[in-house]
Amino acid sequence: MAAGVAAWLPFARAAAIGWMPVASAPMPVPPKDKRRAKDGLIVLNVSGTKFQTWRNTLERYPDTLLGSTERDFFYHEESNEYFFDRDPDIFRHILNFYRTGKLHYPRHECISAYDEELAFFGIIPEIIGDCCYEEYKDRRRENQERIQDDEEIDQSNDMVQQDMTFRESMWRAFENPHTSTMALVFYYVTGFFIAVSVLANVVETVPCGTAPNRVKEVSCGERYALAFFCLDTACVMIFTVEYLLRLLAAPSRYKFVKSVMSIIDVVAIMPYYIGLVMTDNEDVSGAFVTLRVFRVFRIFKFSRHSAGLRILGYTLKSCASELGFLLFSLTMAIIIFATVMFYAEKGSSGSKFTSIPAAFWYTIVTMTTLGYGDMVPKTIIGKIFGSICSLSGVLVIALPVPVIVSNFSRIYHQSQRAEKRRAQKKTRLARIRAVKSGGANAYLQYKRNGLLIDASKEAGQALVCKTNPTFDIQHHHLLHCLEKTTNHEFVDEKTYEESCMEVSMVKQTSRSSSISSSPHGLTCCSRRKRKSFNVPNSNMSVGLQGSVQELSTIQIRERPISNSRSSLNAKFEETVPLNCDQPYITAAVISMPTPPVTTPEGDESASSTDYSQANIVRVSAL
Amino acid sequence: MLYFLGYPQNGHRRGVRARLMRLFPCSTAKKPSASNQNSVEDELELSAVRHRPEGLEQLEAQTRFSRKELQILYRGFKNECPSGVVNEDTFKDIYAQFFPQGDASTYAHFLFNAFDTDHNGSVSFEDFVMGLSILLRGTVQEKLNWAFNLYDINKDGYITKEEMLDIMKAIYDMMGKCTYPVLKEETPRQHVEIFFQKMDKNKDGVVTIDEFIDCCQNDENIMRSMHLFENVI
Repeated sequence: MAAGVAAWLPFARAAAIGWMPVASAPMPVPPKDKRRAKDGLIVLNVSGTKFQTWRNTLERYPDTLLGSTERDFFYHEESNEYFFDRDPDIFRHILNFYRTGKLHYPRHECISAYDEELAFFGIIPEIIGDCCYEEYKDRRRENQERIQDDEEIDQSNDMVQQDMTFRESMWRAFENPHTSTMALVFYYVTGFFIAVSVLANVVETVPCGTAPNRVKEVSCGERYALAFFCLDTACVMIFTVEYLLRLLAAPSRYKFVKSVMSIIDVVAIMPYYIGLVMTDNEDVSGAFVTLRVFRVFRIFKFSRHSAGLRILGYTLKSCASELGFLLFSLTMAIIIFATVMFYAEKGSSGSKFTSIPAAFWYTIVTMTTLGYGDMVPKTIIGKIFGSICSLSGVLVIALPVPVIVSNFSRIYHQSQRAEKRRAQKKTRLARIRAVKSGGANAYLQYKRNGLLIDASKEAGQALVCKTNPTFDIQHHHLLHCLEKTTNHEFVDEKTYEESCMEVSMVKQTSRSSSISSSPHGLTCCSRRKRKSFNVPNSNMSVGLQGSVQELSTIQIRERPISNSRSSLNAKFEETVPLNCDQPYITAAVISMPTPPVTTPEGDESASSTDYSQANIVRVSAL
Repeated sequence: MLYFLGYPQNGHRRGVRARLMRLFPCSTAKKPSASNQNSVEDELELSAVRHRPEGLEQLEAQTRFSRKELQILYRGFKNECPSGVVNEDTFKDIYAQFFPQGDASTYAHFLFNAFDTDHNGSVSFEDFVMGLSILLRGTVQEKLNWAFNLYDINKDGYITKEEMLDIMKAIYDMMGKCTYPVLKEETPRQHVEIFFQKMDKNKDGVVTIDEFIDCCQNDENIMRSMHLFENVI
């Protein structure tokens, strides 16, 4: 809650007089106003710069250094001020936090210095205001990454060889070739063989002059078949050995097998082995030839050697949505124009536009302004639409592409930032919710502890409880008044959901005269017991003694968590008039033998007809 | 002040029309600029809304607070509203912070109308302090008068069942969802019935100020609770 709002609490309490005439229950006693210390000025001397503020301002946040008695440690008697040997520039922001309730982060300050000051004055950085929070988190993350990077480099530089197993050192050699000369040699050798293999694939297809007893020109691959085969075998052997070594050295073999690079490796060497197996079968030699195409994937093995290639691949992957949209809009335009051209050219004889898919080729070639000329429209209407197609092709493709490319990089950076902000927002909202529910929970806890305090004061017990600031006590009293006005209580989410569930369950059980009640034990595991209580509900039909009323079901519900009998009695006094005033709750207590199921403590709080042992009796679905 | 309240609507309507006008190149050019000028004036008006309260002596004479109390009140007031007046949205925000579990905006709206005695859409420090003076230092009669004024939404001197139902729903809204026992739809209505049974002596369906004060003075609980917050400041 913002500190400034604390000043409005008297107003909110005064306005509560508006509830009084409609309240059906008497109001709780207001907390005794502790004699308010005279509000005086406090002088804070931070390394020579003097700050002054009201004492009340500082005490708005009692769990920080300045708001608690911890500041007494810094009190300087001779000059009657509090002296702090810290940075005055950052202190200014900290003091503003007390004044306005919002903590700001100055951009020009070093993040670690700021963090230190916050830690010194006991302020958690999560309460930095929305205006500065993003910047603060970004800077913090950058700083941490920098620290981590430094650590990693240090680590990798002075990692001692003997400490690692052979497997680990081999893996390290594969991942960072610069660590040892052996690794570097291996790196270059594999690179060389990848290049050789790719080159051989290319040269294989070049026509090489005629064979001795043939007319047609043959490719080099067919002429020097044996040589190329040997080269291919050598390369594939090297690749296989490399792959097996990597598989051996990988710390997590399963993860390695799933990774992209290993898939590329496998695809690169598979065709050779399949070819080995299949050469004698004539029928599938066609398929075998197709498989050789996959050998070109060996070029992707270069991505291990080039970081740039990896970044490109990653970029394309992450901008897939933008590219996809471009493709989609192009497809739309292609289909539209192909359809139009097909129907326009349908009439002309000898037209190449035999079908709409055939017209796709024309549309693509025209729209990308290639214009091969292998398909041209012959009718006038076809030419008109053809020209519209090429004009719109210029617009559809040539104009947006540069815009897309520049938007590309901008959107990419922006989406990264938006993702960051979204992730931060989720955690921030979660935290804000936690604080809100913390406020509500604080009130629920006050109900448990506060009454305990009252009861125990009489008992003379000294309870250890954190000194609630005056504001909290008064605020809780205000909420208590609201509860009394409406005759409903604040509960937390869980209890509410359970009560909803039970209401629906109760409605299901039939309106028989089966009554069951089980006084719960006064321990705190009430939820579990409540649940188990519902099950025997329908089974029990017990004869009763004593005063009985016709009821369908009764639930005896106890307060969410109650810890001691004294508190129970104290609360009970209050609830008696509550129960009497409710028109829709008819009090009914039944005496019955303790149910065989549920609580082991059932006999300790044995059923009785008087109120003093049962807790709140709630009858539903009468 | 009226501009301040009605500004968003007028601006929006003017904006749509201006945009439509701009589509047609032959429309008169002076229309958009006029709307621009109006919005500029509105901006000035907004930023010029500042309020300085009357002097301390006058307030001391008009209210039952001491000088020191007025000082403390003003400091808190000005801290949250630097411009010196509270408009309804800020008021709702502030009040909602005390009731995190429910929705306090409807009740805050009624409260705002009760404090804004001159009905100019904003609560100045004088209004604020006058209201507080009645609530905290007034006689029981005055407090009951104030409460009646709060319930009487249209200020016609009678509380009807509908008005009371509105107020009751607003109060129950502040409880929020997670209550025990679970809030039902007819709970506010039943509460209003109880209230009317108690207050409406001649059963004419409305509660007048005399019936109200009479009935409250006879009810011990209510009389006791009127003195509850006397030492708040």
